[in-house]
Amino acid sequence: MMQENYLAKWLNNELTDAELVEFKKSEEYTSYVKIKEASSTLEAPSFDLDAAWEEHKNKRNKEQPKVVTLQPYKRFLQLAAAVAVLLVASYFYLGTLDQSISTQYAENKEVILPDSSEIVLNAESSISYSEKNWDKERNISLQGEAYFKVAKGKRFTVATESGTVAVLGTQFNVENRNGFFEVTCFEGLVSVTFNNKETKLPAGSSFLVINGKEVSVSGPDTTTPSWVNKESSFKSIPLQFVLNELQRQHNVIVETKDIDTSQLFTGTFSNTEIYVALQSISVPTQLKFKLEGNKVVFYAKNAE
Amino acid sequence: MNNNEQDNVCKEEVFSTLFSSHSKTVFNYIYYKFGNEEKAYDAVQEAFVKLWENCGKVTPSKAKSYVYTVANNLYLNVIKSEKVRLKHRDKVVTTTNESPEFLMEEDQFKEKLQNALDSLPENQRTTFLLNRIDGKKYKEIAEMEGVSVKAIEKRMHLALKALREKIDGI
Repeated sequence: MMQENYLAKWLNNELTDAELVEFKKSEEYTSYVKIKEASSTLEAPSFDLDAAWEEHKNKRNKEQPKVVTLQPYKRFLQLAAAVAVLLVASYFYLGTLDQSISTQYAENKEVILPDSSEIVLNAESSISYSEKNWDKERNISLQGEAYFKVAKGKRFTVATESGTVAVLGTQFNVENRNGFFEVTCFEGLVSVTFNNKETKLPAGSSFLVINGKEVSVSGPDTTTPSWVNKESSFKSIPLQFVLNELQRQHNVIVETKDIDTSQLFTGTFSNTEIYVALQSISVPTQLKFKLEGNKVVFYAKNAE
Repeated sequence: MNNNEQDNVCKEEVFSTLFSSHSKTVFNYIYYKFGNEEKAYDAVQEAFVKLWENCGKVTPSKAKSYVYTVANNLYLNVIKSEKVRLKHRDKVVTTTNESPEFLMEEDQFKEKLQNALDSLPENQRTTFLLNRIDGKKYKEIAEMEGVSVKAIEKRMHLALKALREKIDGI
């Protein structure tokens, strides 16, 4: 009895003597010997080791660009790092600059300050303040008109070209335009410094300076400035300033023909409906107006 | 423990030694399988370039089976085997006293063997030739093919049986 795979064992000289004797007796034995001998003279196709090695070296070099292609990425990283440094630097630099917010004609903006004080900017106005130092000093510089709701805390100062307004925590309106400076206090106590003279302004009163002269006015009838509710109100204010406000609120050019702009005007006009607003001004002053595009001309009734 | 075993395949000496000792066998191995010299040569190049690229990850002891695996995977299911044409070493010089009839018979036998080899299943032929031509031990062939030594012995046994039957015209 031959073991399993005995032909393989025989080729490998692993048969036992008894098995070998038995295998030699078999009739196929001579054929297997012939196969064994003939196959030992077989040769595989020629293989040039040196040439293969040279080619391998060449292929290896060709693979190099794979590594080189990483370089642009590296360059990109360098660039990205540079940009990141610039961004961080500019962030810190810009952080030290004053924050400023401004409005165009016919635009209002609401600003929440770091201490949650609120400022509503009327048309064509701007404020600026230092966000970084806000905790140390609450200083705002203002051009134009704004309504302030100041959170309680340290002294809150509004600096304008005409005068300085200082408060501790209150609601007030400051308007500072060419030749016109008005502060109205709606809540708390406001201190107005004008020409080095300090005036205490209690709630429900106004402080008005026209062309450098203090004008005594009665306080407001409302708890917020009228413009916050999309209206502009005036009490004995020269027509010139009323028309200037009209320009700002409706983004129009106002011209006058043969009329006295120093006459006092008391009334209210809408900040949203221009036609209603024009009527509100023209009817009590007995003037006529022409609206063409964004240009308004006021003229005297008898001029026709 | 052999100190060379600790060497890195990335070292040029280690790598070129691996190349000299295995590239020919990789070539033959693929040739026996598919009978295509060109593909066998490409397999050598592919296998050793892969080995070079991964020289840091493959230890010298694993490098041998690595190149066989890469070469083998390269053509897995891709090419069909062609005729495996082998050459015969010319033994006439050493057997000058043989009769012309015997020599002719021997040539005819070799021709029959060649045809029989072609008709063998790929794995039996590869096993048989790696052993007969390259002198690979069953254990080595088992490693290359990723099977047990017993499986290689089985293939060898079946190969011999089939060759004889084919040659003897059974």
